[in-house]
Amino acid sequence: MYLNQPIYNQVSFSSFLFENDYLALIPEIFLISAGIFLLVYGCIFSTSSTYNFPILSTNIGWFVILTFIYTILLIYNAEINNAILLYNTLVIDDFTQFIKICCLLASAVTILISLDYLKAKSLNAFESMILILLATVGMLFLISSADFISLYLTIELQSLAFYVLAALKRNSEFSTEAGIKYFLLGAFSSGLLLFGCSLIYGFTGTISFSECAKLFAGTAGLSESISTSTFSIPACQLGIIFLLTGFLFKIAAAPFHMWSPDVYEGAPTPVTTFFTVTPKLAFFAAFLRLFLEGFYDLIDTWQTVIIISSSISMILGAFAALTQNKIKRFLAFSSISHAGYLLVGFACASIEGVQSLLLYLIVYIVMNIAVFAIILSGTRHTKNHTLSQIKYITDLAYLAKTNPLIAITFTITMFSMAGIPPFAGFYSKAFLFFSALSSNLGLLAILGILTSVLTCFYYIRLIRIMYFSIPKTWCNSVRIPRGNAYILALSFYFLTFFIFYPAPLYLVVHKAALALCI
Amino acid sequence: MSNILSFLLVSPLVIAGLISFIPAKNTLLIKNIALISSSVIFVISLFLWVEFDESTSLFQFTETLFQSNIAQGSVFDGLNFVLGIDGISIFFVILSAFLTPICLLVGWQSVQNYVKEYCIAFLVLESFMIGVFEVLDLLLFYIFFESVLVPMFVIIGVWGSRERKIRAAYQFFLYTLFGSLLMLLSILLIYFQVGTFDLEVLYTTQWSESRELLLWLAFFASFAVKVPMIPVHIWLPEAHVEAPTAGSVILAGILLKLGTYGFIRFSIPMFPFACMYFTPLVMTLSVLAVVYVSLTTIRQVDLKKIIAYSSVAHMNFVTIGLFSQNIQGIEGSVLLMLSHGLVAPGLFLAIGVLYDRHKTRILRYYSGCGRVMPIYAFIFVFFTMANISLPGTSSFPGEFLIMIGIYQNNTFVTFLAATTMVLGGAYALWLCNRLIYGTFKPHFISTFSDINRREFFTFLPFIISIVWIGVYPEPFLNVMHCSCVNLLYQGY
Repeated sequence: MYLNQPIYNQVSFSSFLFENDYLALIPEIFLISAGIFLLVYGCIFSTSSTYNFPILSTNIGWFVILTFIYTILLIYNAEINNAILLYNTLVIDDFTQFIKICCLLASAVTILISLDYLKAKSLNAFESMILILLATVGMLFLISSADFISLYLTIELQSLAFYVLAALKRNSEFSTEAGIKYFLLGAFSSGLLLFGCSLIYGFTGTISFSECAKLFAGTAGLSESISTSTFSIPACQLGIIFLLTGFLFKIAAAPFHMWSPDVYEGAPTPVTTFFTVTPKLAFFAAFLRLFLEGFYDLIDTWQTVIIISSSISMILGAFAALTQNKIKRFLAFSSISHAGYLLVGFACASIEGVQSLLLYLIVYIVMNIAVFAIILSGTRHTKNHTLSQIKYITDLAYLAKTNPLIAITFTITMFSMAGIPPFAGFYSKAFLFFSALSSNLGLLAILGILTSVLTCFYYIRLIRIMYFSIPKTWCNSVRIPRGNAYILALSFYFLTFFIFYPAPLYLVVHKAALALCI
Repeated sequence: MSNILSFLLVSPLVIAGLISFIPAKNTLLIKNIALISSSVIFVISLFLWVEFDESTSLFQFTETLFQSNIAQGSVFDGLNFVLGIDGISIFFVILSAFLTPICLLVGWQSVQNYVKEYCIAFLVLESFMIGVFEVLDLLLFYIFFESVLVPMFVIIGVWGSRERKIRAAYQFFLYTLFGSLLMLLSILLIYFQVGTFDLEVLYTTQWSESRELLLWLAFFASFAVKVPMIPVHIWLPEAHVEAPTAGSVILAGILLKLGTYGFIRFSIPMFPFACMYFTPLVMTLSVLAVVYVSLTTIRQVDLKKIIAYSSVAHMNFVTIGLFSQNIQGIEGSVLLMLSHGLVAPGLFLAIGVLYDRHKTRILRYYSGCGRVMPIYAFIFVFFTMANISLPGTSSFPGEFLIMIGIYQNNTFVTFLAATTMVLGGAYALWLCNRLIYGTFKPHFISTFSDINRREFFTFLPFIISIVWIGVYPEPFLNVMHCSCVNLLYQGY
């Protein structure tokens, strides 16, 4: 299926043990070593009295962004683009390279737009940047994981970083509560996931995705008949259900979404940004590989679960966000409904499905980053000159008067999230529904259409508040920081002008989907 | 000359882009640029008519933007940016180009805030409207069809008159969106079967019986909202009443035509069997609308609501003609659409004149205003007469042809539809009577404020073209004849 390991006659330690694997892992190795270096650098200088105990969060933030950019370059110029590494543990192909680049970009942008927030809130925690870096490393490995052990380990690596990040603001009760909640539920879901892995390992004797695929080949529809002492399809199905539960927990899809509104709300806003954006990419990448490669022949089992979860997410996302007052909770529910749409692409289990899922993910990330870039830049200034972020939805009131450009960008983003035609959000949704139709999931497509009319209600509500409702206390807008402005402008152009030249993104996404599915 | 269609499509967007770079305080400059450029675009659009070949039903001026496939490599690699017009869509392209400078001119004084955004919104809207009538690609049609919502939502919401405008904007948005998303689903289904969105290919495609009925219904859900047919017509009076004058002009002039244009372009030629099958449904709904809405109109007190409801009645009369299955009916429908695109905007402009002066639309307030506004009274009566299709005005040939057409098909429907003559006369004359004549109320209307020169010149093109079509409709009928015959043979 994949290219074999390059074999060299030269005998040295590295080629003896890992052959050429380290060459393919250079981006990750670089990222880890850079992380360690930055950690040491931060520890030394932030405790140095000669420099008067400097606050290093912005400084290290820039370094982390730089590191991410170098890593992107390393991945982009990688010599080995298609391989199985470390004895079937990791896999590299076009799909993983593409998702990794997206992941790194998303993380870099997240840090970029939150630098100003850190400064304004005087969060003296440079380790948050290192944690984001470590979580990103975990996600890079997660994306290219090819067996259960690496899957679980990498999930834990990024989750641990996330637990700490959620509880970053130690003087805020919300943040600590979010951290605890996220830790408990995340650990619980990891436990479920691990139990699923062990069930499958126990009943198949293998941890590798590709070997699972070979084992299950041709067993579709034979679930009851094959049950020997070592190999039992029903048990594996049980394992798959557990795995799926863990996965749905992690991407905050509907029946297992309960942590996400609280955590999104409680965690500091930059962290929330990070939560909504990057993990989705990594988890979808890893589990697409697992299910489309490893369990493709057991599609009956997992497709049903995903269809159910997808429809519940769409419905719940459409109704629950209607009554939200706080913007971060609102975005949490909106991201639940987006997770439902993404799962439509997952449920298709076809090349088109994967392609439209990836496209939707990218557009979703751009939209979310645009929204958070606005929320993160303290665009308000009250009479007492206390800078306050946008916290409630009503804080957006009359943004159109105080900062019309931002209001227009926000409006475009909201229309795009609702899937109104000329914007990028429409294309991605139409893609999803088309692939659902071509996989005989017509009902799911109809449900998606109906719920997207409902979601329009609340996206337009935000626009209405921005343009028409009169605020209780008048605020002046302050200049938004330059980084956020650039990111906003870029995402605005992306969302608006995507219609004119969508071909490059289509091609890239298509290539990635082909690499995964064939 | 070969890429005139893409020029018409793109140039308003480009001008809107240019305007966005002008500082917002130079309102006069912005208004002038927008007005002059949109007038130039209108004049250029007239070349379509000059160069149009009347002897064929083929799409003319066809061109493909972005020669390489814009969606290459995707599941949608059948998506083509193909433009072209035939004898039916040509008039709507011209009408869109015609109404935009009028809209800008209407807001010349009454729009005081967000002038820059006003101009940009209308130019963008113009581009989208022209796009709807020009594209020969199903998905792109859908995209433009829906895109119109966004500037329209802004126009109603921002420059609308009262607090209720937000609710109206909401209703407008959600009603239309709901209908058209069903259409999106069926478009995807069509693509799933055929593998292309190209209209000329789709015309030659055969559908299975049940699928054809399903697709027709899904398209109908969308078009019926836009027309608007009877159960889903509520958004229209709301949107009209709350919209600014220019918004009403566009709503009545172009957006109401989108539904009937959709029937002509998609439902009838693509699903002929389903059209036959559902003709009774359409007839029932349309006749109901004609009678019920006309009766509703009589008891309104809001000036704009009266005109809005009368638009509903007229558009349903158009659908009766479209489904009459003969050439007179179809040609009459297209002509009536065109005529309604002139008459209803004219009436809305006339009401805008009153509203600008007194900031109310309650009918009783204005009784006897003919005494202080004689020229206005003349113009208002003229448009009212055109609205009830007095012979000699543009509505008459259209309604007359529809009557002829439907009479060959169904006498009973003809009988019911003909009540529009009486009922339309009832509400229109009643309105005219109460507005122009009646007790003069000097407490309310104390100053002599007849229409000014700018307003007069906005009315003039409407009056000229209404009389022209009414007296000599040949140039219009000749252009649309071949396309209508073709439609008839494709459809029935």
